Amino acid sequence: MAEIKWEKEMDAALARAKAEKKPILLDFFNPN
Amino acid sequence: MGAVTYPDANVTEFVNNRMIPVRLLSDAQPYAKDFNIKWTPSIITLDESGTEHHRIVGFLPPEEFIPAMMLGIAKVNFDLDRFNEALTELEKIIAEYPKSKATPEAIYLQGVSGYKSTKDPKPLKAAYEKLHAEYPDSEWAARALPYRLIS
Repeated sequence: MAEIKWEKEMDAALARAKAEKKPILLDFFNPN
Repeated sequence: MGAVTYPDANVTEFVNNRMIPVRLLSDAQPYAKDFNIKWTPSIITLDESGTEHHRIVGFLPPEEFIPAMMLGIAKVNFDLDRFNEALTELEKIIAEYPKSKATPEAIYLQGVSGYKSTKDPKPLKAAYEKLHAEYPDSEWAARALPYRLIS
């Protein structure tokens, strides 16, 4: 089953967003 | 979100194709402070430079999540004066998700985007008429009320 390919660092997400010209989905979560 | 919405096949496909997804703990600094995170889930749409344009706090089921994210994408384009791109996204929300809670706001923003891109006020009145006819109890119908006076 496919899964969402989450980035775990903001800097990596920003670099990809600029390179791929896509907006960022930023999810703040609580694992508990 | 992690148990129901994110595993949904349509959600997964949408997010992987249309956005750059990043997940941070709710106390991850400096971001939790920078974005003033007080509750989870907090789901924020950012542009390519990291500026916020749309925020959802709380759970959304899969059928609401996709149009909500599309509205976030539309708002990024609207705020950056990319009105044609915003209109393309908004038209998809309105056509494909007519029962979504995001749709009344999409209609309102469609009217504003149409006006700002053409300086013709007719899209504002069209937005009021659609909201009044199809979503009369939405807050966006109330916000569009002044546009009924446009001739």
